Amino acid sequence: MRDRHLKYLFVLPALVLVLVTSFWPLLQSFWLSFREWKLSRARESRPLWEPEYDGWETWPYLLENYQRALEDDLLWNSVQVTSTFMIASVIVSVGLALGLALLLAPGGKFRLTVRTLLILPFAMSPALIGISWRFMFQPDFGLFQALFGALVPGLAGVDWLGDPTLALIAIVGSDVWHWTPYLTLVFIGGLANVPQDAQEAAMIDGASSWRVFVDVTLPALIPVLAVGIILKSIFSLKMFDQVYMLTNGGPGNATQTLAHYIYFHGFKYYDMGYASAVSYLLVIPMLGLTWLYMKLVFLKR
Amino acid sequence: MGNSIRKQVADLFQFALILCAAVVILVPIYWIASGAFKQQVDVFQLKLLFTPTLANFNEIFRSPYNLHEKLLNSTLVAGTTVLVAIPMATMAAYSFSRFRLRFERTMFLMILSTQFVPAVVIVLPYFLLFRDLGLLDTRLALVLVNLSLILPFAIWMIKGFIDGIPLDTEEAALVDGSSRLQVIWNIVLPMALPGILTAAIFCFILAWNEFLFAVIITNSKAVTMPVGLSLFHAEEGVLWHLISAAGILIMLPMFGLAMIIQKHFVQGMTLGAVR
Repeated sequence: MRDRHLKYLFVLPALVLVLVTSFWPLLQSFWLSFREWKLSRARESRPLWEPEYDGWETWPYLLENYQRALEDDLLWNSVQVTSTFMIASVIVSVGLALGLALLLAPGGKFRLTVRTLLILPFAMSPALIGISWRFMFQPDFGLFQALFGALVPGLAGVDWLGDPTLALIAIVGSDVWHWTPYLTLVFIGGLANVPQDAQEAAMIDGASSWRVFVDVTLPALIPVLAVGIILKSIFSLKMFDQVYMLTNGGPGNATQTLAHYIYFHGFKYYDMGYASAVSYLLVIPMLGLTWLYMKLVFLKR
Repeated sequence: MGNSIRKQVADLFQFALILCAAVVILVPIYWIASGAFKQQVDVFQLKLLFTPTLANFNEIFRSPYNLHEKLLNSTLVAGTTVLVAIPMATMAAYSFSRFRLRFERTMFLMILSTQFVPAVVIVLPYFLLFRDLGLLDTRLALVLVNLSLILPFAIWMIKGFIDGIPLDTEEAALVDGSSRLQVIWNIVLPMALPGILTAAIFCFILAWNEFLFAVIITNSKAVTMPVGLSLFHAEEGVLWHLISAAGILIMLPMFGLAMIIQKHFVQGMTLGAVR
């Protein structure tokens, strides 16, 4: 077989699969977002899970779903929760990871051993992290509850997951624990590409190590930092697993992220049209971030 | 003199900070792991010393939890996803790496960008589709949705590895009259094999830990391990000792796999942005 046929034949299965498994549902939910798609009034009598049950009612809508979304205070609440979570988790995890990367970059047996530990949190199931954090924040017998209570007197005996602010901090904490080690590995990789001689020359010129960091190391790290920040923002925007397992959006709606809000409307109220409309509001910032990421990764080549 | 003491203090300070980081990483893992060997009464106390027991592992495999079924589901779903994705990804990656294609950039970016679509957006139409086809709560449905997650990663990772294989042996064999398929089978595949295995392990970890799809489209028969964590509720409350035991079964195999591929771990997750 000739190469010029073969090369397309090789790409075809993967391309078709991606089109079918990702683009089809994207278009489908776009279409859904302009309809009212709900269970009929008979919803109490038979469970949705029965495949033969045909109780959907679908009505063409124009922008009612979107309009309803924009008028829903709870949606704006979840937008606010998502942004707060995103900003906090990105700043804390990127900051900590940068510090840790600088500490671990020099090599040596001790540092290399600690580096291998960095893989562990990331290989762990986020759902498991969520449920075990819930366990560790329990009043009376939770490990974190006891540790933080001992360190900060004001936090002794506090019900973490019952307090709106502390519950959000708990989620940010679990997410930072999950991501910081991974980002550290990324930044260590970036540090390896910082030219050594420029750093040494600055040292010989008598610059303090802080000035060397700010004037030489940091500028060289900016591309890697940018990639880390954007990737982390994308993953923070999608945050679902730990919210579901750790707080389930509570107390009240204090930790309900956008992904959880969509899940709730789609699969607890079975209001698919509305959930699709809201999910498109999540796609918009995601597109922007993805575009930025692609630009950073590909344009420099 | 003063300088060297200052340096020693700084070194000691760094050492202490790194040690802190290691402790922060390990303590939660240790706490889950130790909970798996505690009796239920010991879970509700913060003692460091307790009489270890293996009873929890016995209990999670019995009714009503039947965790072996979830373990089988997780293994089959992640395994099948990888077995389907990796050959497809290898073929596509070879083409993207070695040939000029029409719309190459567009196709490549399109495949990669699907990685950033939030799962919660595409799961809505999937749910309705699987419901119509009677595929809700089946392993097949889970494999299909996981493929959307896994395939782009696999293509990118394997392309990176094939890019790193020098062209000359391939070209020499072509000149000697081997066909393209022979060259791929005899030369490229053996050289790319470590990279392909790395990608396969990486994708297995992602599919194993996948939660959102599984929690929505499975209900009882096809429930996977991470979703199974929510099973351990009893009238008297949450059964933390059993959750810990199940947790060990979820995390330990993945720790092992991650260790095998640790050199390439970062590359896989950043879609090659950082090398």
